[in-house]
Amino acid sequence: MTTAQTTGMAYRPPRLRRAISKTLLYVAIIFVTAITIFPIYWMIVSTIQPNKYSLSFPPPFFPQEISFTQFGLLFAQRPIANWLKNSFVIATISMLLVTALSVLGAYALSSLRWRGRSLFGLFLLVTQMLPEILVLVPLYILYNQLEQLNSLPALAVVDAAFALPVCIWILKGVFDAVPPEVLDAALVDGCSEFSTVWRIVLPLSLPGLVAVAVVAFFGGWNEFLYASILVGSTELMPASVGLTTLSGLSGVLVEQYMGAGMIFSILPVAFYLSMQRYIIAGLSAGAVKG
Amino acid sequence: MKPSSGKVHRRLHLLPYLLALPIVLYEGVFIVSPIAQGIYGSFTRIDLGSGKPQIWVGLANYARMFADDLFWQALKNTLTISAMVIIVALVAALATALLFNRPFRFRAGARALMMIPWAFPEVPVVMIFIWILSPQFGVANVIARLIPGVTENPMWLQDSNLAIGSVVLISAWKAFPFYSLVILAALQSVSQELYDAAKVDGANVFQLFRNITLPGILPTIEVLLVLAVIFSFKGFALIFLLTGGGPNYATETVILRIYNAAFRFYDYSYAAAMGVAGFVISLVIAIGFITMQARRARELA
Repeated sequence: MTTAQTTGMAYRPPRLRRAISKTLLYVAIIFVTAITIFPIYWMIVSTIQPNKYSLSFPPPFFPQEISFTQFGLLFAQRPIANWLKNSFVIATISMLLVTALSVLGAYALSSLRWRGRSLFGLFLLVTQMLPEILVLVPLYILYNQLEQLNSLPALAVVDAAFALPVCIWILKGVFDAVPPEVLDAALVDGCSEFSTVWRIVLPLSLPGLVAVAVVAFFGGWNEFLYASILVGSTELMPASVGLTTLSGLSGVLVEQYMGAGMIFSILPVAFYLSMQRYIIAGLSAGAVKG
Repeated sequence: MKPSSGKVHRRLHLLPYLLALPIVLYEGVFIVSPIAQGIYGSFTRIDLGSGKPQIWVGLANYARMFADDLFWQALKNTLTISAMVIIVALVAALATALLFNRPFRFRAGARALMMIPWAFPEVPVVMIFIWILSPQFGVANVIARLIPGVTENPMWLQDSNLAIGSVVLISAWKAFPFYSLVILAALQSVSQELYDAAKVDGANVFQLFRNITLPGILPTIEVLLVLAVIFSFKGFALIFLLTGGGPNYATETVILRIYNAAFRFYDYSYAAAMGVAGFVISLVIAIGFITMQARRARELA
């Protein structure tokens, strides 16, 4: 039966067969990719074409006319610059805290053998899996008592607590890849533990450090739940919350609404995509080999 | 790595604990202690507005929870929505991973495009889909009207069944690229020699998939399944901003129910009791994940 099948296949001209399967493959890939990115395409189209086209039904699939004036109007008429500034402050504080702390945790998990090691790893895994809402109610009551509602640093430290476990896993994976012989040699040569890490491990792990900084920064930048509850004043509102208020404001055009979403998304998308290898390894903490 | 001299060894003895301490303290202050306070709060009555002291009420909040139809409905919604999101996302992920595992031109670029939904922040994702699903001008209506019999624009987020469907598809769209990339990595670690040997023996495409590909990626899919359960149980912003849990509680998950109790009805102690239920559920899933990881580590060793 096997022989019959092979001869049957050999009967078809192989070049034609390959051409057909190649074409089918490309059609499938274009189809799948098009469906996946259509919503993003639509956001871009709705931003760059004047409102009148978006508000016709059925709307045109390709932009009929392109304009960029909405970006200027957006910054002039809406507090979007202030929102972005607040997001930047939150994200930066969270990034600094998480990057510093995750170096400590990743080194303890990766290079050292100690009794509490697997317990520490378990602790991180569990905290990583807890839903954010569980912490929010008690934290809201606490911040209310301490009069820390409406404080960007007080918000940033909570964002950092949720980014920290993932970032430790990311960095642990990167530290694991540093050859142990290099560390041994440095220790034998009289380097202190600290200078080994500072002069050898960290420079070799630079991409991992960047990935950690990206996750922590944009974790704070994108975060919505805590920001919407712990910061109430419009003055301190970060962009993730501010954007959701746009649709309620009067006179906001579709092009402005979508444009604001684009401005907010451009940095996280660019950085997440360029660091995706490390971030995904950390998020799945051991599900991916290598 | 083994320390080579006695001096180094003694110094290393304390070091890991000193390194872990700040992290345990940090997570302790911002995650563990609030959860402990939440557990305590679930046995009390908290009244923030009037400044009345917190009073011990025993199991009253829990009695209320077990009698609350909306809580059970939220639990059911969480199960059905999560199950649907996970199935749709994992099937899409497997299909795209198999497709993108074939060699073709511009593969790196196409893969990067596919990852965009994953890289997009949740808030703008909701903005896009609210616009796409707008009952008046949304482009989704153009596509829906291609279906015979559809003459009016569907109420995507205002009709109960359509809202569940919309929430599921949007969540799956956002989640599947991550799973797809992880499966792709697993596919690439399946030995090419196995395929070559099977092809020599005359195996067809389906036999190759069933006997080589599937066993090769099954452990990864198992782990992803548990991760997907965790991610979808935790999910908040997407559903909250799309529907707020409506219409008529159709998309209100446990997480949204807790939020609504606390921050729409200022019912903190009741929210705390439901939070404890949510905590127990996530612990169970986390333990499942950890035992699975431990089993895998043993198998690899």
